[in-house]
Amino acid sequence: MPDPIGPAGADATSFSQSALSPAAALDEARRGLCDEILRGQGGRAALGRFSDRFDGILRQLIAAAPRIQQPLTVVAIGGYGRRQLCLHSDIDLLLLFGGHLGDAEERVLRAILHPLWDLGLVVGHQVREIEEFGRLEVDNPEFLMALVDARLVGGDRELFDRFEDAFHHAGTHAHVIGALNTLIDSRHARFNDTLYQLEPDVKEAPGALRDLTAMRWIAALTDPSLLRRGPEESASLDDAEDFLLRVRSILHLESKRNHNQLGHSLQEKAADVLGYPGTLPQQRVERLMSDYFRHARVVMRGLAWTRKAAPVPVGPNLGRTSDGIGFIDLHRAAAEPKTWLAAFQGAIDGDCPVSDATLACIRQHAGHFEVENFFPTSEERAALLKFLRPAPGLYARLSEMHDCGLLGRMFPPFQAITYRVVRDFFHKYTVDEHTLLTIRNLERLITDETPDRQRFASLLWDLTAPELLVLALLLHDVGKWRDDDHHLESVRMARDMFQRLGLAPEQRDAVEFLIANHLAMSQVAFRRDTEDPDIVRQFAELVGVEERLRMLCLMTLADVEAVSLETLTPWRAELLWRLFVDTYNQLTHGYGDEPIDAGQAGSGELLAGRPPELSEADIAHFLQGLPRRYLQLFTRDAIYGHVRLSRDIRPDEVHLSVEQKGNAWELTVVTLDKPFLFSNISGVLASFGMDILRGHAMTNPNGLVLDVFQFTDQERFLELNPGAIKQMFGVLNDVVSGRVSVADRLQGRARSLFHRRPVHVGSVVRSDNTSSTRYTIIDIIAADALGLLYRISRVMSLNGCDVDLVLIATEGHRAIDVFHITKAGRKLSDTDQLELTAALQQMLEEGYETD
Amino acid sequence: MKLIKCIVRPNKVDEVKDALEKIGISGMTVTEVRGHGKQKGHTAIYRGKEYNVSLLPKMQIEVVVADTVVEDAIKAVVQSARTGEIGDGRVFVLPVEQTYRIRTGEKDSL
Repeated sequence: MPDPIGPAGADATSFSQSALSPAAALDEARRGLCDEILRGQGGRAALGRFSDRFDGILRQLIAAAPRIQQPLTVVAIGGYGRRQLCLHSDIDLLLLFGGHLGDAEERVLRAILHPLWDLGLVVGHQVREIEEFGRLEVDNPEFLMALVDARLVGGDRELFDRFEDAFHHAGTHAHVIGALNTLIDSRHARFNDTLYQLEPDVKEAPGALRDLTAMRWIAALTDPSLLRRGPEESASLDDAEDFLLRVRSILHLESKRNHNQLGHSLQEKAADVLGYPGTLPQQRVERLMSDYFRHARVVMRGLAWTRKAAPVPVGPNLGRTSDGIGFIDLHRAAAEPKTWLAAFQGAIDGDCPVSDATLACIRQHAGHFEVENFFPTSEERAALLKFLRPAPGLYARLSEMHDCGLLGRMFPPFQAITYRVVRDFFHKYTVDEHTLLTIRNLERLITDETPDRQRFASLLWDLTAPELLVLALLLHDVGKWRDDDHHLESVRMARDMFQRLGLAPEQRDAVEFLIANHLAMSQVAFRRDTEDPDIVRQFAELVGVEERLRMLCLMTLADVEAVSLETLTPWRAELLWRLFVDTYNQLTHGYGDEPIDAGQAGSGELLAGRPPELSEADIAHFLQGLPRRYLQLFTRDAIYGHVRLSRDIRPDEVHLSVEQKGNAWELTVVTLDKPFLFSNISGVLASFGMDILRGHAMTNPNGLVLDVFQFTDQERFLELNPGAIKQMFGVLNDVVSGRVSVADRLQGRARSLFHRRPVHVGSVVRSDNTSSTRYTIIDIIAADALGLLYRISRVMSLNGCDVDLVLIATEGHRAIDVFHITKAGRKLSDTDQLELTAALQQMLEEGYETD
Repeated sequence: MKLIKCIVRPNKVDEVKDALEKIGISGMTVTEVRGHGKQKGHTAIYRGKEYNVSLLPKMQIEVVVADTVVEDAIKAVVQSARTGEIGDGRVFVLPVEQTYRIRTGEKDSL
C-alpha cells in the first residue's frame, strides 16, 4: 500500500495521540466532548475537534492494517465528512480501492472495521473500487449525497483526487439535486410540512440540521455564492447550525444514544445546560423553544430561497435558472472562452435562452479572444460541429452569439458581413441576418408538418452530416463584403476557417462545394429548362452524389426563403423539388452508364498522389470501368485502401477490411464476381445479426467486385468478442468460396429474426428499363428487416439475374435499395421483368424464405 | 388595344422580356402560374412515392399593346419562347376596351 496516510490528510495533533490505544483515544475524545457539551459548548467547534480526534484513531487503524499493492483511500462522508461527528453519531466511511478486491483487500477491511465495531461504534461503511464511479449509482441517492461531504482521512491522495474527478460532474450534480429535492419534500411531509413542532427532531424536522445541510449541498453543487446572496446572513445560518448542534449534543449525552428528538422531558435539561434564564423551568423551556423556532425559521427561509435560486447543473460551471442557461461563476467563465459554446449548446438542449448575465459577460470579454481560444483542441471543435446540427433554437442561439459579438470572433469571416447592406431588388435584410435566417429556415423544416415542407424535411433526416450544411450556410455569403463574385470570395474566406476548425478533408470538400455552388441549383431550377434531360444530366454531374444533392437542395430552399417573405413561392418550391427528384433519379439510375475511362480527370489526381507501394497500373486497373460516381463517393485514402485490397486477388478469394465508424461498422469486400455473390455476402452479415443501413456494390468489366456495407451490430458481437472480426472474415471466405452454405448458417437465425414482423411499410418493387442503356433497374422500397438484402438478391439470382450495381439506403424503418441488374449480360426482357418483380413482390409480402 | 397573355416555360421569361423590349414593349405583368395544355405532364417518382406533376409550373406574361404592334409582339413571343418541344406554351390575344392610369385617373391611349 502506498503512503498509508496522505500527507495532506494528516493532522499532526491527532496523529500524535496515536500512542494511546484506539479505545483509550476514543474514551479521551468522548470525555473532552462531554465536558464541552455540559458547558453548553457542544456545537460546531467542539464537534470539529471530536471529528479530528476520531480521524487520528482511524489513521492509527489504517497504519496498522496489512500492506497491499493497490492504493486505498479512507474517506469520511456524511456528517463525519462535514466534521460534525456527534457523540453517538454513526461513523460514515467510504473505503475506496484503486483496483479489484481480493483476499488481501478483505484483510485490510477487517483490520480497519473490526476494531471500530469492537469499540461499539455504528459504522456506515461503503466499499468501492474506483472503476465503480464511472457509473452513477442512481438507486442509492443517500450515498451520493453523503459523498458531497467526502473528506480524505487517510490513504492515497491521488486515488481520492480520482474519485473527486469522477464524482464531480454536471450529470451527477443534477441527479443528486433532483434526488435531494425529492427527499426534502418527503421528509417535510412526514412532519406535516411545518417547522413549528412542539417536540422537534433537531436533525430531521423542517428547519433542522438536515435542511441546513441540504442548503449547503445545493450551493456546493450549483453555485457556492448562493449562501452569501440569500435572504439570510451567512452568520445567521452559522448561528442556527451551532445552536442546533449544541442541542443535538445534549440529546446524545442525555439519552446515551443517537437520539435527536427534543422531547418535553429533555427540553428542561437542554434549557438548563444552555443557560437559559428564568425562575421556573417552563420559562427556561419557552425561551429555549423560542430560540429553536427562530433558528429553524432562518434555515427554512434560506433553504426555500436556495432551492428556488439554485441553477440546475447542466455542465461544468453551467446551470439553468428561470433566466435561462448561464455561467455559475462569471469571473471564471470570462477567462475560459473554450467553455462558452457549452452555454449555447445547453440552451438548445434545454429549449431555453442563454441568461442575460452570461450574454453580458461574453459581450464584455469576447473581443479579447481569437478563434483558437474558442476551439483549442479537437474536443471543442467536435462540440462546435455538434452544436451546428439543425435543431429547434439554433437560429435563436446563433442570433444571441451574433448579438454579443461572439459569432464574429469565432468565425472571423462572419465579421465582414455584419450589418452589411447589399442593395438590390430582392434582398430585404442585411447579409448577416439573411445568413442566420437561412439557418432558421432549415431549422423550421424540423417542425413544419405541411406536406410541401415535409418532403424537404425528409432530405434533412437523410443527411449523414447536416452540421456541414449549416456550416456552409453560415459561410456562404461572407464574401458579400465585396461587390462581385461573392461565392468565390466566400470560398476563399471559408478555407481559412476550415483550417482553423481542423475539418477533415472530406468535410472541407463538402462545405466548399456547397459554398461555391450555392447559387447553382436555383439557377438551374428557375432559369433553365429542367425538362431537358441534358440539363438534368449536367446538373447531376455537378453534384455527383445524392448526399451533396440533398444538401444543395436544402441550401437552395433555405437561401431563397431567406431573401424575403415573398421569395420562396409554392411555385418555386415545386420547381426546386422537381429538379431534385429528376437529379436524384439520374444519379441513382443513370450512373451505371458513366464508367471511369482511362482519361478520367479524377483518376489523374489519384495517380499523382498515390502511396509509393501502389503502382499506376494497380490504380488504373482497379478504377477502369467502375462507375464515375465511385470517385465522388470515396476519399482518396479510401480508394487507395480499396486498390490495396484488390491486388493479387484470385477466384474464390475474398479480401476484407472492417472499421468502426461512429455507431456503425463499415465492411469493405473485394472479390471476383460469381453467381449469388451479393446475396451470399449480405446473407453472412445477416447470419451475424448485422443490420445493413447503407452501402454500395459495384462491379468493373474485369469482374472485380467492390462492396461497401455500413451496418449496425445491435448485439455488439464485434465489439465485445476479441476474435469476432476474424470469425466473420473466416465465414465470409468460406461462404464465397462455396465451402459453407449461407442458407445453413441462416437456419438458426431464421426463426428468431427473420420471423420478426417488421414495421408495416407498403412494399414497392419497380422495374425500369429506360433510365440506363446497360442495366435494368429495380427499385425496391420495403420495411427494413434483418436479412432483407439477402432475400432480395437471392430472388434475383434464382431468377438468373446478375447483380452488377447496388445502392443501399435506409430511411427510418424503410429500406430503399436500387439494383442495377442484367441477365446473360443484357437488360431484362419484358417477360423477365414481370417474372422478377412478381417474385420479389411475393417474397416481400409473404416470404421469409431462407433457402 | 389588345391584351396579349403568354404562358411560357419558366426559363424562357427573360428571353421573352428581352424580345418584347426590343420592339418597344417594356411594361408587362409577370405571374407564376401552374397548369397544363396538351402536355399532360408526367409522373415523378422519388423513393417509391409518386408525385403528381400534371400541373406544370409556367410563367404568365401579360402585355397590353396597340393594335398596330400586336403581330410583332406575338412574333417576338413565339420566336423567343419556342424550343420546338411539347410544353412551349400558348399566346392568347384579347380585346381591351379602355385603360386608365390610377395615379391621374386619365384615360390612356396606347
